[in-house]
Amino acid sequence: MAQAGEGIVATGVQRRFRAVEALRGMDLRADPGEVTALVGPNGAGKTTLLLVLATLLKPDAGTVRIAGHDPATDRDAVRARIGWSPDAFGLYEGVTAREYLAFYAAAYGVTRREATDRVTALLAQARLDEFADRPVGVLSRGQKQRLGLLRALVHAPSVLLLDEPAAGLDPRSRVELRELLRGLADEGATILVSSHVLSDLEELADRAVFVDAGRTVGDHRLAALPRATTLRRWRIRALGTGALVAALEQAGIAHSGPGPAGVEVHLAGDEEAAELLSRLVTAGVAVLAFQPASGSLEATFLQLTEEGS
Amino acid sequence: MSLTGIATVARHELRVRVRRGRWQVLVIVWFAVLAGLLGLLRTAVVGDPLGDQEPVGAVMYGGLQLIVLALAVLVVPALSAQSVNGDRERGVLATLQVTRLTAAEIALGKFFAAWGTALVFVAATAPLVVWCMAEGGVRLMSVLVVTVVMAALLGTVCAVALGFSAVLARTTTSAVLSYLFVFGLTVGTLVLFGLATAVGPQIEVTESFDDEEFTFTQPDTRRSWVFLAPNPFVVLADAAPYRGDPIGQGLDPLGGLGRTVRFLRTPPSPQGGPQLQNPDDVPPVWPTGLAVNVALALAALGLTAWRLRTPARRLPRGQRAA
Repeated sequence: MAQAGEGIVATGVQRRFRAVEALRGMDLRADPGEVTALVGPNGAGKTTLLLVLATLLKPDAGTVRIAGHDPATDRDAVRARIGWSPDAFGLYEGVTAREYLAFYAAAYGVTRREATDRVTALLAQARLDEFADRPVGVLSRGQKQRLGLLRALVHAPSVLLLDEPAAGLDPRSRVELRELLRGLADEGATILVSSHVLSDLEELADRAVFVDAGRTVGDHRLAALPRATTLRRWRIRALGTGALVAALEQAGIAHSGPGPAGVEVHLAGDEEAAELLSRLVTAGVAVLAFQPASGSLEATFLQLTEEGS
Repeated sequence: MSLTGIATVARHELRVRVRRGRWQVLVIVWFAVLAGLLGLLRTAVVGDPLGDQEPVGAVMYGGLQLIVLALAVLVVPALSAQSVNGDRERGVLATLQVTRLTAAEIALGKFFAAWGTALVFVAATAPLVVWCMAEGGVRLMSVLVVTVVMAALLGTVCAVALGFSAVLARTTTSAVLSYLFVFGLTVGTLVLFGLATAVGPQIEVTESFDDEEFTFTQPDTRRSWVFLAPNPFVVLADAAPYRGDPIGQGLDPLGGLGRTVRFLRTPPSPQGGPQLQNPDDVPPVWPTGLAVNVALALAALGLTAWRLRTPARRLPRGQRAA
């Protein structure tokens, strides 16, 4: 399915803003048919990298190829193929949702007839059809976010660059966003998503590229993330929190809480977790729940960023 | 760059403008104010002892056009002085720049939307122009020329204000500079002309009075007129075709201003004052002035397109791209 040269390939991308070195040599590959997550702390350079990929910023060094084209030399071909949705954007006051999308369709050179059908279909898909002919000002934050995503899709791009697409979405919309992106990826689109909501990415992404301080620090298939050995947070709930805390202290395991959700401990890997559980049960603690409090993506993220600092 | 792209942007900009502002109210107020002033002007002309030297309509028309230009240069900067940086502030610029529209299409689309809005204000004065023509003495040719030149002059203000909005990050700064530009064009050119004339060459003229000869010097404006030429009022007045009376001691402010500036290009007569001759025999001032205006407009449009180019290497200070 993945043809050579398609998708996104960025190599050694550097970009500085006066004194600030935002990108210090970032590498990224995103393949067609896959959702690639771009994960990193605030200020890691995620947004800057997306701006470079979206043809808005010129990199100081490094090469970028998108859908087989170089943005530096073949800007129009790249723009025809990418859909970009920034983390924060505005809408035009007084313009209806349908007019808004039709304007962008025209700006992307979609013919009017094709645009009319496509806009109607997109609005229905995002459950915004009842707002189609009302001013965008009446939309809620989550609805605006969805409309922004539709804007990025209005010319049927083969590469999607989404910066924090889940921000402001309610749980149902998140699930729909996930299904929509999954569906597009299955049709062969290349999707690059940056987000802080790692649990969302975990269920959505095929691969994760970890970035920190302007550099790529890791590139993993999600299925291959080292679950078994990384340090993760686990949450334990028991009848009688006192007995649980006492047992943990006896075992010499540092814990936080107890809070309403139970007690949290840090354990290095699945084996250690299994061992603690059996000890607690043996000690007579009535364990109700014993589960990882963080996904493997978050664990890897924390580990990578700790190593970096 | 394609016309379709420019039209896409211009249509959208106009739609946003119409939905956002209370344009109907503004245009009605504009018309009412001008109609009121024109009515007052007519009363004044009809009652003036000099009023019968020129047709009432010509005086009214000349006065109306100068007032329209004066008010328009105050309104027009507001139409585009925040066009680019305002879009950036509202977060709608970057999403437009990633589309297949080129920087030139976005720049020109924004320009034509602003210019078109400015021309709506000019068009709103059409009934008043008809009134002037009905009063008599206004030639259709004059109306055509004055309207076209007026449109070009307002286009310059639109383009320069748009240029400021593209170069400067803050909307207030670009608005202030746009008004300063208008101030410079209207008052600044006058001041420069005055200074240049004062330090420029003088010509000795001799006047006889009661068999006594008085010799004094008069400034020679044959070079310093250039400083006054870009002034929009000067361009408009000088471009307006002259009516029959070449000396013209009448009340028509537009014609009077036109004759005054045109005679700046003639040497003072040995008897003092301008040479009395037909203005049509003197080289005109307005082509130079209009050329300066058009050049400024084109430069501003070029600058706007250049600043909108992406991928960007530099960003306005303290500005995120998106």
